[in-house]
Amino acid sequence: MSALAELQQRFQQAVLCATTPGELFAAGEPHQLGGGYDLYVQAYRARLAAALRDNFPVLHRALGDDAFATLAQDYIDCHPSPFRSIRWFGHALADFLAGTVERLPHPALVDLARMDWTIRAAFDATEAVPLTLSDLASLRPEDWPALRLQPTPSLRVVNLSWSVEPIWKALNDDADATTEEPQALPHALLIWRPALDCRWRSADAGEAAALTALTQAMSFAEWCLLIAESGDPEPAMTAAGLLRRWVAEELLAKG
Amino acid sequence: MSKVIEGFGLGLRTDHYGDFVAAPQGVDWLEIISENYLVDGGKPLHFLDRIRRDYPMVMHGVSLSIGSNDVLDQSYLRQIKALAERIEPAWVSDHLCWTGTDSVNLHDLLPLPYNEAALQHLAPRVAQVQEVLGRPLVLENVSSYVRYRADEMSEWEFICELVARTGCEILLDVNNVYVSSVNHGFDPHRFIDAMPAAAVRQIHLAGHEDHGTYIIDTHDHPVCAAVWDLYAHTLQRLGPVPTMIERDDNIPPLSELIDELDVARALAGSTLSDRRHAA
Repeated sequence: MSALAELQQRFQQAVLCATTPGELFAAGEPHQLGGGYDLYVQAYRARLAAALRDNFPVLHRALGDDAFATLAQDYIDCHPSPFRSIRWFGHALADFLAGTVERLPHPALVDLARMDWTIRAAFDATEAVPLTLSDLASLRPEDWPALRLQPTPSLRVVNLSWSVEPIWKALNDDADATTEEPQALPHALLIWRPALDCRWRSADAGEAAALTALTQAMSFAEWCLLIAESGDPEPAMTAAGLLRRWVAEELLAKG
Repeated sequence: MSKVIEGFGLGLRTDHYGDFVAAPQGVDWLEIISENYLVDGGKPLHFLDRIRRDYPMVMHGVSLSIGSNDVLDQSYLRQIKALAERIEPAWVSDHLCWTGTDSVNLHDLLPLPYNEAALQHLAPRVAQVQEVLGRPLVLENVSSYVRYRADEMSEWEFICELVARTGCEILLDVNNVYVSSVNHGFDPHRFIDAMPAAAVRQIHLAGHEDHGTYIIDTHDHPVCAAVWDLYAHTLQRLGPVPTMIERDDNIPPLSELIDELDVARALAGSTLSDRRHAA
């Protein structure tokens, strides 16, 4: 190992563990006066904690400053950043919470974290031109069976266990909002960005499955068959209704 | 490529997107943090493209980690190159530092040891980046709070040697020179006077926190009097160099930053006028 590699490994390990690397620094430096190396340790933790607050604004409000700060330090200890941009730091926080749910005042906070992170992901996802009703009207009847509809690339379908959306909205609008205790409610949450601002709404299992199927490059004929085989009593009406709603909400993109 | 940049710029921050879209501002050019725009779409790229139509830009990265022992991240370099093709910056800069090793990013600008081994490590890496980007890499001196036992030369000697070996250029952060001079007890004028004038592409000015025995480079205050003085000395030594103010925290209204930029304009005007008369 080169001397430079050894220096960097020792420096980094010391910062990650908040310990002091021996014998690296020249004497007479300000680290002996309380500045110096300690500033790197403090700055590392402060910078990553600030990134988590930015990426999980509603979870931060729900937990409060102190509990969020403790969570952030535990996460920073377990998940050093491999990312070039700090914008991605926190990608595993929701799973980290799910694995240590006993530390939370309520298990629904895991879902709040998932919602925060997924909205962040949709915020700067790939652009797309929305599919319109006139696009569909211009199709010839023989074009429909092979048609491959595409969800907009910013679409994220998140499976949640609790009805956290009202809490997320209340706290997003007002940090001091009073909220009701969430109810256990397994469901899907759709998050997407039609233009510059993100949208979200809940969806039942059938709609989430139908939308997810479109991400698998399924033809329109195959997609209709999927709905028919799901036990839906009126599959044609369901398919037409979903298409109308998705186009109106700009959930589908032009190919 | 963008036209040659002159004059006085600011770092583009999200707080000021609306101001730049709404009306022309008293800013000659803008510097963007490259990593903020290495995304697929949405508001960051929307506003970048919109504002780029009205202002020349330069790109400033924070995670090239040119001095790291890790191999250069080719995927990151491709992203930087693609962003440069998108906005056609006048130049592309990053920092003369390392940000992590063993695939970890500490998201900090960590000083290198100033020695021959580090120069030998850096030179081929700078050449590799310059080949990918097809242009000289501009590197900024960082603020530092430690010096290593392994140092063999001063920071300014190290920078000059790297420029001589690679043809890279310099983003001279005058505030960082001042911060490090206080933290390490050297004369900042020696640093400035050693800079090869032809290689200095850009100047940064910024504020810091003074803790008495040491200074922290926070970019959350106005530029202090000592840094203004050092800036004037820098211009006397180097002549006109595109200059900008960096503000990354405690961000004030744009008008306040433009007022501060006007201080730089006035100081540069009087300093360079004196310099011409003295010549």
